[in-house]
Amino acid sequence: MVRDAGALRRPPPIGPRGLVFAGIAAAGVWSFVLLDVPAERLLPGSGLLPELRDLRVLGDFLSRAVSPALDYESSFVPDSAPPLLMKVLDGAHRTVAYAAMAMTLSLLLAFPLGFVASSAWWRGDPARVTTATRFVPPLLFGGVRALIAFMRSIHELLWAIVFLAAMGYSTFAAILAIVIPYAGTLAKVFSEILDEAPRDTALALQATGASRTQVFVFGLLPRALPDMAAYAFYRFECAIRSAAILGFFGLETLGKFISSSFDEGYYGEVWTYIYALFALVLVMEWWSGALRRKVTA
Amino acid sequence: MNDRVRCIADLHMQRPRSRALWWSMGALGLLGIYSWTWGLATGDLSFGDTFSARRLQNLERFLGEIRPYPLHGVEWDTGIALDWARTLMSEHGYEAMVTTLAISVVAICMAGLVGAMLALPAARTLARADAYLPTAKPATRGVRFAWAALVTVTRGLMVFLRAIPEYVWAFLLVTMLGVTAWPAVLALAIHNAGIMGRLQSEVIENVPPTTPATLRGLGATRSQVALFALMPETLNRFLLFFFSRWETCVREATILGLLGMASLGAVISESRAGQRLDEMMFFVLVGSLLVVVGDALSILARRLVREAG
Repeated sequence: MVRDAGALRRPPPIGPRGLVFAGIAAAGVWSFVLLDVPAERLLPGSGLLPELRDLRVLGDFLSRAVSPALDYESSFVPDSAPPLLMKVLDGAHRTVAYAAMAMTLSLLLAFPLGFVASSAWWRGDPARVTTATRFVPPLLFGGVRALIAFMRSIHELLWAIVFLAAMGYSTFAAILAIVIPYAGTLAKVFSEILDEAPRDTALALQATGASRTQVFVFGLLPRALPDMAAYAFYRFECAIRSAAILGFFGLETLGKFISSSFDEGYYGEVWTYIYALFALVLVMEWWSGALRRKVTA
Repeated sequence: MNDRVRCIADLHMQRPRSRALWWSMGALGLLGIYSWTWGLATGDLSFGDTFSARRLQNLERFLGEIRPYPLHGVEWDTGIALDWARTLMSEHGYEAMVTTLAISVVAICMAGLVGAMLALPAARTLARADAYLPTAKPATRGVRFAWAALVTVTRGLMVFLRAIPEYVWAFLLVTMLGVTAWPAVLALAIHNAGIMGRLQSEVIENVPPTTPATLRGLGATRSQVALFALMPETLNRFLLFFFSRWETCVREATILGLLGMASLGAVISESRAGQRLDEMMFFVLVGSLLVVVGDALSILARRLVREAG
């Protein structure tokens, strides 16, 4: 009795959370020390402190944050060029449109992949076990899971680079670079949502004699769809960011405008584009956040 | 019989559904249709061009070139391929992998610290005149306004930090700070500080008010409440976010190297610039391996945290 009370008062000196913290601290310090050395050794001549000239550039750039450009900063603007603000709108439009295209393809791929990758899809009738049902499902299940893990594990920019090297630049290839990892991520999350969805309706349907397909389509899927939809909307928000970034690799979006204006030193224009991207992401974040709160509430 | 029908009708009415969700999905669907129509109509998106004979020829050349170069025009030999891979790994691979991991770890530590700080003035339950303690005389309008302003400014700052993608931050920073690992670290830290701050502030707002109110009643200040009531109660959720964001940091740290900084991305873009496509593909696969390793570590750590309760 007395010993038990003592044990209650004194927890072990280091529990699992303590271990996690110790791990983080050790990894942090070790990484910090490590970064110092190779950063200088790998790239000779680049000191850690920025040069004076760079500091002036930094100051110039930051000071334009409060006065983004409303018109082109270049003294030579071709007559055919649209006004800057129209160009900003065009960039935002393209960013959203490319993201939407990537999203439609990703969803088309993610639904079948996600179904096959969920264990709920394979939850079968134990009475009807044949050689085929014993070996084919595990193979398909494992194969599709491995496939979506692979699709996810390569970042959209790396897919973009691979496609650039393989086929040269095209808009469709850039969109495809977003589609592959996004379809993988969506499929993984869809399969998890399906497996965690409440099974009450599914069990009721099964009890009344519905077939496996009917149980899945009418019992399980409707319970999972709201979560799946909310997640898809969140991924659309991410797709907008990804589409913007693919601009640095040639896709005609805000990212491309940011990089070309920055290279020319037109910092005011850079901030205009940055604020446009900010506004876009802000609206989407508010929208998808509100949806997720509705669905989880 | 009629009763049963009504019962079912009632059940039907009670089913969970969200108009907003279906309107939003409808809007997204329409946007998808519009975008494809626009893309195909303006000719930005030509399948004929994407799969033209020239491009397919490129693809064929590419598929030939990603074969490890000691094996060009020779029968496949796993031993030679392994030797080639081992050389690549010892020349650049290991170092780049370790640097990528180090960048992600330092970045997430910085983001975690800054995010945890930013979360306090962003939490509406804490950053207010009568935090956890209804006072006898209500605060003046000026004081209440000042607190509300603090919350709004902090939240606005966090939104801005996270709305700009890491890659854009890194692109801007690399010109100013030079090509070291630090632009990558800072870019990741800035973006993730905004995310961690938002998540943590939501967790703080959802803390049941009992413990903080007790401390407040005993005369604790706001910072004491934050340190001794809010931190212990939110620590687990914070660590869960910490590790799931770290996973993303590993991915992004690889990518940011494409701007020239010492991570795997730098090695990838160097081999691409040198037209060594076999090496490029090899390092892309190494990158995907690194992501898998990062995911596994993070899942392990999160399981430990959950066990701790």
